Amino acid sequence: MRVVLDLFRYNREFAIGVVLLGFVVIFASLSFFSPYPPNDSFVVPPDVPPSWAYPLGTTSRGQDVFWLLTFAIRNTLLFGFAVALLSRILSLVIGLVAGYAGGIVDRILMSLNDTFIVIPLFPILVLFYFVMRDKMSWGLLALAMSCLGWAYDARLIRSIAMSLRTREFTETSIFSGMSMRQILTQEHLPYVMPIVFSTLMNNMNWSIGLEVTLSVLGFTDINTPTIGVLIYWANQHTALVAGVWWWILFPVLLVVIAFVGLFLLAVSMNEHIDPRSRLNRVTG
Amino acid sequence: MSAAASTAPVLQVEALRAYYKISSFGLDREVRAVDDVTFHVNANEIYGLAGESSCGKTTLIRTIAAAIKPPLRVVGGSVVFNFAGRPVDMQKADDETVAAVRWKHLSYIMQGSMSVLNPVRRVERAFVDFAFRHIGKRKPEFLDIVRAHLQRLDLNPDILAAYPHQLSGGMRQRVAIALATVCRPEFIIADEPTTALDVIVQNSVLAMIRDVQKEIGSSLIFVTHDLAVHANLCHRLGIMYAGRLVEEGPTAEIFKAPKHPYTTHLVASLPRIGNTAPKKGLEGTPPSLAAPPPGCRFHPRCPLAMDICRTQNPPMVEVLPGRRVACFAVTPPGRAA
Amino acid sequence: MRGYGVYLLTRLGQFVLVVFIGINISFIVTHSTPIDPVEATIAASTMFGAVNPEAIAIMRQSLKELYGLEGGLFEQYLTFWRRVVVLDFGPSLSAFPAPVSALIARALPWTVGLLVVSTVLTWILGNLLGGLAGYYHQSRTLRFAGVVAMAFHPIPYYIVAFMLLIVFGYLWPILPISGGAQINLQRGFNLPFLSSLLIHSILPITSLVLVGLGGWFMGMRSLVSNVVTEDYVTYAELGGVDRRRILASYVMRNSLVPQVTGLAMSLGAIFNGAIITEQVFGYPGIGHLLIQAVHAGDYSLVLGITTISIIAVSAAVFLIDLLYPLLDPRVRVR
Repeated sequence: MRVVLDLFRYNREFAIGVVLLGFVVIFASLSFFSPYPPNDSFVVPPDVPPSWAYPLGTTSRGQDVFWLLTFAIRNTLLFGFAVALLSRILSLVIGLVAGYAGGIVDRILMSLNDTFIVIPLFPILVLFYFVMRDKMSWGLLALAMSCLGWAYDARLIRSIAMSLRTREFTETSIFSGMSMRQILTQEHLPYVMPIVFSTLMNNMNWSIGLEVTLSVLGFTDINTPTIGVLIYWANQHTALVAGVWWWILFPVLLVVIAFVGLFLLAVSMNEHIDPRSRLNRVTG
Repeated sequence: MSAAASTAPVLQVEALRAYYKISSFGLDREVRAVDDVTFHVNANEIYGLAGESSCGKTTLIRTIAAAIKPPLRVVGGSVVFNFAGRPVDMQKADDETVAAVRWKHLSYIMQGSMSVLNPVRRVERAFVDFAFRHIGKRKPEFLDIVRAHLQRLDLNPDILAAYPHQLSGGMRQRVAIALATVCRPEFIIADEPTTALDVIVQNSVLAMIRDVQKEIGSSLIFVTHDLAVHANLCHRLGIMYAGRLVEEGPTAEIFKAPKHPYTTHLVASLPRIGNTAPKKGLEGTPPSLAAPPPGCRFHPRCPLAMDICRTQNPPMVEVLPGRRVACFAVTPPGRAA
Repeated sequence: MRGYGVYLLTRLGQFVLVVFIGINISFIVTHSTPIDPVEATIAASTMFGAVNPEAIAIMRQSLKELYGLEGGLFEQYLTFWRRVVVLDFGPSLSAFPAPVSALIARALPWTVGLLVVSTVLTWILGNLLGGLAGYYHQSRTLRFAGVVAMAFHPIPYYIVAFMLLIVFGYLWPILPISGGAQINLQRGFNLPFLSSLLIHSILPITSLVLVGLGGWFMGMRSLVSNVVTEDYVTYAELGGVDRRRILASYVMRNSLVPQVTGLAMSLGAIFNGAIITEQVFGYPGIGHLLIQAVHAGDYSLVLGITTISIIAVSAAVFLIDLLYPLLDPRVRVR
């Protein structure tokens, strides 16, 4: 807790990140007070520019952009969080085991890992949508993306696990008869948790970015409002040409705020974890 | 060279202070790594610097070589070299002068010399980068000089085509020594050049340093915490403790009759053949240089500590010709003044 | 030289593995669908216009093979692979009777060109600026460049491309926002075509560079600030080696080694970005084709593009792996 406070006081990136992300989260939680259900259309007059009655305007489908956006950002954040959480589990297990076991196990897991890093995921996700079509849902996409998005961070965790393996306390644990599972969960896990946390932010950015992209193209469930789905509908109604710019601008603005917030958090946490870059801050 | 020039010291360090100033997460700290150090090195002399790790040895010689970067700062004092009658004040000289001095007059053998060679370039490139501009010959002739130099040091000139990772640790260290001596500089600073090597390699590297020093007649500052190495190599010895010089004198005399209680302890802790008495350890640990104790920095561990040691810092006093000590037990305050 | 051989073999093995796993994922994905893909596809595709019955018959056959619905699961698997190995994905539904491979072959040069130019540009620019920023870390100009590069970094390709589209398409329309080159020009090595090609590529390349720059910038900056504390850099400074020489041959040269690995690692992600950028700017490459294919319900084309993408990206990674020893002698000889 003191660490968080210190970071907030002395690390500008962290403070800005917290503020930005806090803003987005509060905005998302407003969805619980929305007067309209997310999927109802024509509840308000269409195409009204931002005004006191409709602070962010209304869409061509007669939805209030403000309240729609609260739902959209909530779903988007939840999606990113779900993917990040699920893929963390995979990267943790694979990273820790590879780093601890070493040798042939490590070699196999890491070439598998590199494979997933290299494979272009976007065409595969498009193919996935293509065969799923109407069966495509929010949860299914999250599952598919976490199965594909663990690799980069697994490599990171492995490198830490490898250095932990050579530490004396690991030897002590082995001699005291702990099993590999016990050592990994009780001894090594606490050490990698900080890095897992900062990669969580990065991974959320990555998955939200892909989700936005896929939904803007209409390759997801277009009936669950997310930021991408919002832009998709705006594009379908050629909002920009029609001059309904607020339908596009506010979702883009909000998601960019979320991206920058998450990114700043990840960067400042990384800096906190890596003493070498912290030293740079001190001297520079 | 006139007689006067040869007796003038090649290096004169006066009241040198170099502190690390660190401010991190709202906290300001000052680490006094080198505090009021005065000594000189004569021509054709090997001067040893001894002391525990983190007593400021490396900071001292970095400062002497004017290779300091923030947060390390020189707070006071001076470092003046005298290269063939031309004085160079390392702190005041401009960058060009210092760059012109480097390697031609002043070279450096580094701690952890294992990694001083650029891993992605051939050894030959290191010689070109460091020495080519000083030797002032055309490339083929320059390389001939380098090859001849390597052969003189019993190194195979073929190593020029190798990458650093293809050489063993001892070999890399020898290459570093060859690199440091190829311009035949007047002054060489050697910072723990043998620490990471095993004992046999260590001996041959030491022999190499001694031979090349004898051959080109340079002065040498040799830094190590290993007193046995000092005993074999150095003409004179300076003992450092917690950022200060506490004793200085000819090596043989220091080993024969140490004056400062810290030196006494160091010498006594050396293993001697036939001596089976258990070694007594020194109680306590070296002080933090960020918050050194007041007075003599050694007093919390000193068996001879007196009241005055806790409040006043003992000055460096010449007790015999060429023999200086900073200890109130050796020179009581009344006499020192 | 033996070290180089071993290195090459392991990289080749990795290349084969990537292709193998990638194709297998495609197979699993295509078999994970609960709907009957062949009939659904044909139904979907006939909706878009009249297709003659003969075409439907050929399509159904190739679809069944591609989806691997003929015979048992293992047999299906083998058939799938046979099609992939010879790169024969049958005729395209949306552009019948043009074979899928011909469509891809036509689009591929656009994507490769766009990718190579923008990736090389991004990598060089990002590393140069990042390296300088790490070395001269007091410089205000470089700090500002860092802030700009990092501001774009977390934003996904789509949003950046979209923002550029809005700025240069609607607010300040000075650049073409769609297509690869003017259509009525003679394609080939002539000035009007080449200049049109160049102008059309400005926005897609800019958006790719903007997004990519920050990553290389930050990576290089932190690598450099670590490398400057290495003994060989300190030693070169003590040796009075020329500052520019230290920056170029000592600091940058050593920091670039992991950045090349990084390039190989991120090619997949860069490829994703290119696909999206192409779609936004209507660039006639693989990405544009892929999205058209999805909208047209052209299964063979989607599968073909997915497969070719996997092979192409891993081949590019392999190519970088081949060049890597030039930069790092520790791999070459051991």
